[in-house]
Amino acid sequence: MKKIIGTIALTLLAAGGPALAQSYPEKSVTLVVPYGPGGASDLAGRALAETAQPILGQPVTVMNKPGAGGMNGARFVSDADADGYTLLLARVGMALSPAVTPESAVPWDAYTFVSALEATPMILAVRGDAPYENVDDLINAVKDSNGAMTYAASGATAIDGFTTQALLADNDLDPLTAATLVPYKGGGALATALLGGHVDFVAMAAASLMPHIESGDMKALMVFAPERVDSLPDVATADELGYEKAGQITGWSALYAPKDMPEDVVAKWQDILGQVATDEKWLELAARRGSISTIGSVEMPDYAKSQYELFNGLAKDFGYLPQ
Amino acid sequence: MLNEILVALAAVATLQNFLIMTAGIWGGVIVGAIPGMTGTMAVTLALPFTFYMAPVPSILLLVALYKGSTYGGSVSAILIKTPGTASAACTALDGYPLAQQGKGGKALNMALYSSVIGDFLSNISLIFFAAPLALLALHIGPPEFFMLMLFALTTVAGVSGNSLLLGMVSAALGLLLATVGEDLYGSFRFAFVPDMQAGLSIAPVLIGLFALPELIKLVVMRAAKTDEAAPLGAQHVTRDEFMGSLRSILKGSVIGSILGAIPGIGPSSAAFFSYGEAQRSSKNSANFGKGELEGIAASESANNGACGATMIPLLALGVPGDVITGVMLGAFMIQGLTPGPLLFQTNMHEIYMLFIGMLVSSVLLFFAGKVTMRMFTKVALIPQTLLTPLVLLLCIFGIYSIASSTFDVAVLLVMGLVGFGMFLLNIPAAPFLIAFILGPMIEENLRRALAISRGDPAVLLSSPITWVFAVLIIFVLGLTVRREFLKSKERRVQQ
Repeated sequence: MKKIIGTIALTLLAAGGPALAQSYPEKSVTLVVPYGPGGASDLAGRALAETAQPILGQPVTVMNKPGAGGMNGARFVSDADADGYTLLLARVGMALSPAVTPESAVPWDAYTFVSALEATPMILAVRGDAPYENVDDLINAVKDSNGAMTYAASGATAIDGFTTQALLADNDLDPLTAATLVPYKGGGALATALLGGHVDFVAMAAASLMPHIESGDMKALMVFAPERVDSLPDVATADELGYEKAGQITGWSALYAPKDMPEDVVAKWQDILGQVATDEKWLELAARRGSISTIGSVEMPDYAKSQYELFNGLAKDFGYLPQ
Repeated sequence: MLNEILVALAAVATLQNFLIMTAGIWGGVIVGAIPGMTGTMAVTLALPFTFYMAPVPSILLLVALYKGSTYGGSVSAILIKTPGTASAACTALDGYPLAQQGKGGKALNMALYSSVIGDFLSNISLIFFAAPLALLALHIGPPEFFMLMLFALTTVAGVSGNSLLLGMVSAALGLLLATVGEDLYGSFRFAFVPDMQAGLSIAPVLIGLFALPELIKLVVMRAAKTDEAAPLGAQHVTRDEFMGSLRSILKGSVIGSILGAIPGIGPSSAAFFSYGEAQRSSKNSANFGKGELEGIAASESANNGACGATMIPLLALGVPGDVITGVMLGAFMIQGLTPGPLLFQTNMHEIYMLFIGMLVSSVLLFFAGKVTMRMFTKVALIPQTLLTPLVLLLCIFGIYSIASSTFDVAVLLVMGLVGFGMFLLNIPAAPFLIAFILGPMIEENLRRALAISRGDPAVLLSSPITWVFAVLIIFVLGLTVRREFLKSKERRVQQ
């Protein structure tokens, strides 16, 4: 109850404060999440909406537009008016899809890059009772199995498929045939497939795996992230283990808008995100999802370009695109 | 332990919690009863409100909305032959004929009693059998899932009406439509416009197929009959009727509780499964589809029975089975509770509070259902000339509001024409819908199973669970063929 009153008071304060030079925002802002409700991106979007709302002074409504690997929502936003009332919670897929399927995806640079939001580590995990204690054990087993070992992923060209394929390629194995991909939809289903022993390993977003790693039902072998994860201090990153391709892969979220959004609106949002970055609730929610806030520490236009180039290179390496 | 339960009881028994649950259940029933508005929508819309609530009340609110909307779907299924949610599709098969016979109140009451009993038993199974059921759910791998769904598809034989052949045509069309969009491996099928890449959603297909043809019929055929609704008081379910359906209610509740515990199955498939089972084993099986109370009992007990059970994989494994539990998982995480094996060690107090709250909400469902029923039976008093455009408006508005998608509205209208065409050709609509919902699950799990076995079909018969379902499938197919054979013999004798 106190919280409700507090929020109402905050909102009133924000609304009644000194009038801003520009009139934006005059109405509620729609934040499009290009994946289904309940997943890591949805949670990030809702956390952002909640934290930004009192600072913005207008409601931020989250709209889920799932489908086609996030391209449905991405297309909706890139086609929308660049008036600042339609924004996109971008994920690594916004750089990955156009790099792998250039003919059907929304181009990686069809947006105004407002800001980076967070880095979301990915984890290579096996079942708790599996006989593999480290990545080498697993890779040796993959080599011996002659392609019969299975891993779950959202799709061959999804980020959680690329993690495994990059690892295989780094070990001089054929990324497409050395292990068998079993496609599942969504983080929860991927985690269940491993938990039930229907596949041998996964390399996917940390959020769905952490509870099972904590309970001992799963073992983390490696982290796909620039640095180690706080809650798993003993698990090395791919980069530390000397994996060149896998070492560059990680998950992330960013805030995008339709192309050519007015500069004052972009500045307004960057200012808001500056305040979000130090907001306790935002940091707490990010930590709980296993992600690290990157607002202000990553130059988004450069980063998006480098990510696109990385995945485009990998797609050519793996044979999805002609060299 | 008793002390802990009492402490939890004291914590959960506040006026605020009571009001939250009442609002959730009642809101859910109303949303569920409005065609096109789904439980998923209600739960998603309510999510931001829970950010400002204590952990347990916020989960209770979402659960209440889910339960309420699953029941609410039956109200419109019975009164206007428009299942408010997909899980009430089988309810419409018997509910609407009953309403036309002037027994709408009976049908509504039976739906409510079955829902409440299914819901209550489902909660009990959540409380006492969460661990073993979660373990069972984990053993359901792609091959087992495939065989289970294949068995559920045999329900088609039961809902085909007079002609098994036309029923199979209808199911084949449904399976075909289910292939639209992106497949598991990322290739696009029948994706003529970008909107089709994501496939067709269930809600517009459901409403288009069931509600729109009725409306078109009224306009084109001028078949409007002004049936006066009989007073509700005379329409209580008698003791004999209730006892006659009790077996199906209990069976439906068990089916719902077990299938609900398997991530990805959900209330719709459980309801189809239960309806098919009741029809096969009931002594009134010839009356199914013509207005049989037992059919409503089977369908409604199973869909609400699945509601509580979907919480089993969520709480015990941290795995959401469908979109609604996915949203709930999000709500748990925001509240700082991480569902999964550790929750039962670290947050036993909250777990007890949640269980007590869910049991109470079963009781609240009964009263909310009774009140809503009274409100909605007035629907029958509205003249058809007013009701028809109103329902059409609600359908279009509801479908648009789910994803703000005009494409979904187009799907709705096209499916309405398809449904009307099927009606003219005497092709039943229920097999179409069942196949459309089960189709992706059948295909995806078949392909997964074959990926794991690297193309060896023997994987489909690789475990005891798959053997059981293989035997059941053969048994049901045998029964169906025998019945068809007897029917055609009868026809020949008559000639």
